[in-house]
Amino acid sequence: MKNLLFLTLSILTLSAAQAQNNGSKVPALDKSPMDMAYYPANYPVLKIQDKTTEPLVARVIYSRPQKNNRAVFGELVEFNKVWRLGANEATEVEFYRDVKIGGKKVPKGKYTMYAVVSPTEWNIIINKETDIWGAFKYDEKKDVVRVNVPVQKTNEMVEPFSMYFDKNTNGVNLNMAWENQLVALPISLK
Amino acid sequence: MNRILAMTALLFLLSCNEAENEPVAVKPPLRPDSNIIRKEPNNPYVSKDVSAMDISYFPDDYPVLKMTRGISNPPVARVIYSRPHRQGRKIFGGLLKWGEPWRLGANEATEIEFFRSVTIQGKRVGPGRFVMYAVPQEKEWSIILNSNTYSWGLKQDSTKNVHQFRVPVQATPSTVEDFTMVFQRTGTGADLVIAWEDVVARLPITIK
Repeated sequence: MKNLLFLTLSILTLSAAQAQNNGSKVPALDKSPMDMAYYPANYPVLKIQDKTTEPLVARVIYSRPQKNNRAVFGELVEFNKVWRLGANEATEVEFYRDVKIGGKKVPKGKYTMYAVVSPTEWNIIINKETDIWGAFKYDEKKDVVRVNVPVQKTNEMVEPFSMYFDKNTNGVNLNMAWENQLVALPISLK
Repeated sequence: MNRILAMTALLFLLSCNEAENEPVAVKPPLRPDSNIIRKEPNNPYVSKDVSAMDISYFPDDYPVLKMTRGISNPPVARVIYSRPHRQGRKIFGGLLKWGEPWRLGANEATEIEFFRSVTIQGKRVGPGRFVMYAVPQEKEWSIILNSNTYSWGLKQDSTKNVHQFRVPVQATPSTVEDFTMVFQRTGTGADLVIAWEDVVARLPITIK
């Protein structure tokens, strides 16, 4: 339904753009706003302050739906189905160097990310198809790697879906948190 | 929701006041940026931005087209930017001073990526990724593509400017509350439409 709406909107926008040249048909703000996270964390701020101490490794671009009193895992995000890890456009991760995920080499470049969620673990998918909407056309054949990561419980409720990087002993974790769940995808830099 | 709005408005007001009280002679390298320090109480991991990020593609809504029609050609361009709200403030000539660089949004520097080469005002641009900023004047803006990617928008390194274009501005028919960047198809390619408050600028992109 939402897709239809978007398609209609985009057609309307296109035809409006051709009909009137005045910029009045501007897109509204998203309900699930987009956000960005880097490793090293806050890299752009550190960069303009000349405070970077390690090279740029990764960036994730994702949308942040809100819990809004809904039951998320098992309801809104159904178990054992491919989830786009956010909203709107498929979540994008970019590596600025070769990394290893689940023991497999992931070459420098852009990827989309999805997850298949279950009560105890998430299957995180790194896929080659970029610049695509959601998981509706997710194509398993374009997977680069799939990794299972255990679900940890958070102490506090997490209202907006959140992704952020932090350091682990072999490299970096890409953390994903929402509702009362947190998973960490280890990314090896060795 | 109303409370968040009120809080946001208050934060903006507070940061505006701070800016006005700054001594003019001593200009710190970074202006105060409420988005860097602001934390929401309900998320212990990552705070949510006041000025949410957004993405625009050309062709418009490319990811949706790719999903529904399975097109395999890459997009021509995409821009990733943040969308501050006007919040009753005077933007051009007020919040944004004439002749001073502006990050075209908020937070991280606005990023434009060309997936193939295009022509802008007779110059070949891309393929490649740039940060983008503007220097607004009353009648025209300079729009600058710069190679200092992955930087925060408050400080531009002009030694890394790659392209600079001048575009006229027009009045919008109605006030634009949320800063907006979007591609609109033209006879020769697309305009990158940049609109806020009552001003719209168009960067014409020729696509062959």
